[in-house]
Amino acid sequence: MAELRMREALRDAMAEEMRRDEGVFVIGEDVAVFQGAFKVTEGLIDEFGERRVRDTPISENTIVGAGVGAAMGGLRPVVELMTVNFSLLALDQIINHAAAIPYMFNGQAKVPMVIRMPGGGGHQLGPTHSHSFEALFLQIPGLLVACPSTPADGKALLKAAIRDDNPVIFIEHESLYGVRGEVPEGEDEVLPFGKAAVRREGGDVTIIGVLKMAQVAQDAAGKLASEHGVEAEVIDPRTLRPLDLDTILESVRKTNRAVIVEEGWPHGGVGANLATLITEQAFDDLDAPVQRVTGADVHMPYSRRLEQAAIPHEEHVVSAALATLEGSI
Amino acid sequence: MADIVMPRLSDSMEEGTVLAWLKKVGDEIAIGDEIVEIETDKANMAYESDVAGTLTEILAEEGATLAIGTPIARVGDSGEGSERPAGGGEGGTESGPAPAEAAESEPLVTSSATPDAGRVKASPVAKRMAKEQGLDLASIQGSGPGGRIVKSDVKKATKAEPSAPVAPEAAETAKGQTTYEDLSKLQSTIARRMSESKATAPHFYLEAEIDMSRAVEARARIKAAAGEGDVVPSFNDMVVKACALALREHPRANGAYRDGRFELYSRVNVGVAVAAQDALVVPTVFDADRKGLRQIATDSRALAQRVREGTITPPELSGGTFTVSNLGMYGIDNFSAVINTPQAAILAVGAIKERPVVRGGELASAQMLYVTLACDHRILYGAPAAEFLARVRTLLEEPLSLAL
Repeated sequence: MAELRMREALRDAMAEEMRRDEGVFVIGEDVAVFQGAFKVTEGLIDEFGERRVRDTPISENTIVGAGVGAAMGGLRPVVELMTVNFSLLALDQIINHAAAIPYMFNGQAKVPMVIRMPGGGGHQLGPTHSHSFEALFLQIPGLLVACPSTPADGKALLKAAIRDDNPVIFIEHESLYGVRGEVPEGEDEVLPFGKAAVRREGGDVTIIGVLKMAQVAQDAAGKLASEHGVEAEVIDPRTLRPLDLDTILESVRKTNRAVIVEEGWPHGGVGANLATLITEQAFDDLDAPVQRVTGADVHMPYSRRLEQAAIPHEEHVVSAALATLEGSI
Repeated sequence: MADIVMPRLSDSMEEGTVLAWLKKVGDEIAIGDEIVEIETDKANMAYESDVAGTLTEILAEEGATLAIGTPIARVGDSGEGSERPAGGGEGGTESGPAPAEAAESEPLVTSSATPDAGRVKASPVAKRMAKEQGLDLASIQGSGPGGRIVKSDVKKATKAEPSAPVAPEAAETAKGQTTYEDLSKLQSTIARRMSESKATAPHFYLEAEIDMSRAVEARARIKAAAGEGDVVPSFNDMVVKACALALREHPRANGAYRDGRFELYSRVNVGVAVAAQDALVVPTVFDADRKGLRQIATDSRALAQRVREGTITPPELSGGTFTVSNLGMYGIDNFSAVINTPQAAILAVGAIKERPVVRGGELASAQMLYVTLACDHRILYGAPAAEFLARVRTLLEEPLSLAL
């Protein structure tokens, strides 16, 4: 085990896979000479050279398009989009090409590529630079969606993503890059997609936290236990597609209550989707309506106070969990 | 279109019974019109509409008992608007952090769905468990939001169930035929509150003899001097006043033990137990420490009258900080009362009788009154309770002090 920051764990994942497989290469804006806008590709150019760590102009649709072509041709590109916000410029390549090609060619053409992109709010970057698009990509058939919350998961999921033959949207959170955590060493520490982590066990309410909100959910669970005597079970789905619904349903059948926490917008969000799945499949086990804690239904404000007010915090999760327990405690 | 919901007519009200509709479907209703008579845990009240329009639908039959907040009728547009004043705590389920400024923007979700009044609200897991255990949901009291039956309610009901239901045509027992009477809402409340009091408040009792000779003389003088129509304070009014003055000096007696804290009240509001039709209610004389004897007498007479007429309202039955219960008029010498929780104490008052007393070794006669103070030992301890009761006695033995 080594203690690494999230950005180091992700870098190690790419370096290990590049050593293992000649076909893996990294492409994006400022990923080579500048070592990455968030320093996630630090050192890669020194080890692998310009041929496999490629800087590009500011041209997101083209970068992803180059990745799609390379992947169809047999390589395994890791495309970095500087932030999730700029993926909007590349949606044609992502949706109409990367996601659709394997289907359109009935599997005869594959697109084994990873598109990495950091997102999330909290850094006063305003309405156009603070998006949480987990729900947007989750909606597209053909795309796998990963959203790791710990360095160990970041590394093991990114390795799995690179080895996977499907296009993978790999969403990172800017606030998590500096977070440290124990990371198992070894080339083959790969985390299969579709395996949720139970971060904390409890019998009173299930809290499902996505990406950074997995951490917020754990903090809230601590407060629920110490201040309210409520034992929450916290689940981090780690990948949204495929989704480990079994682990979530098993927990809800035990606790009879669920709260879903995400940073994105409420309408048509990850929580809306998950709440529907839980209601469809565990209706007779519910003791209260499924609660959602989401980012506010607004464009992200610049003002620090307003921005903080638009992002879910521990206390919102605590009150949502208590709401599911009304009448029972 | 607006819903009229079962209103909260008293602070302890959880559900209410529709006694009678005073309006019928098709009637025009103005704000302030009495539209329905509701029986609460404390009283029967006519509920005044806070909306205007045409009564389009009655959702709750007479006799139906419903949780507060449950729609009981619908009012639709007439010529004028039928807008309901803003209110109601039932928010949406979106629990995202409230955006500071976006609060002004449109609501996320607008829903006009309202629960069906006759339907029992239960969570899915509660329904499943009740079905598995053969329990009737309608017999279970819901503790969830809006009276929803949740899992813990079914669990409780399961535990309570084993006692076999009484056979309706039970054979004659050694007690003869048994008839069963359903309790009125008020009687249920009395049953629940009295058992709660004895089960949770550790009662102890202090008894005192009070020489009311001067009070008897004083009252006779007041009566003689009273003009036509003047209210003459009763001995009970004097007891109320004496208690109020003593309560002002003894904050713990004018408080409550609740949720691990002492609650001490700034106002002294003395409740006076009054027998109602087959029940008991305790109307409140507010700020009794600051009112003169005549005002107390006027108040308590008016309250007792309203209790007898059944027109007493929940606000008049709430807010008491201490209670006086008097059975003297029935010739009872002395008795102990059950504390009207969460109050700290209750004073039980017997009859004033001329009794032999010993004064300086000599036998004499005096107008004696026996009182018993029942105290909740969690807040009012022995010595302070004794000081409080001694003060009440001193005040009554020198009734002039009641006028100071």
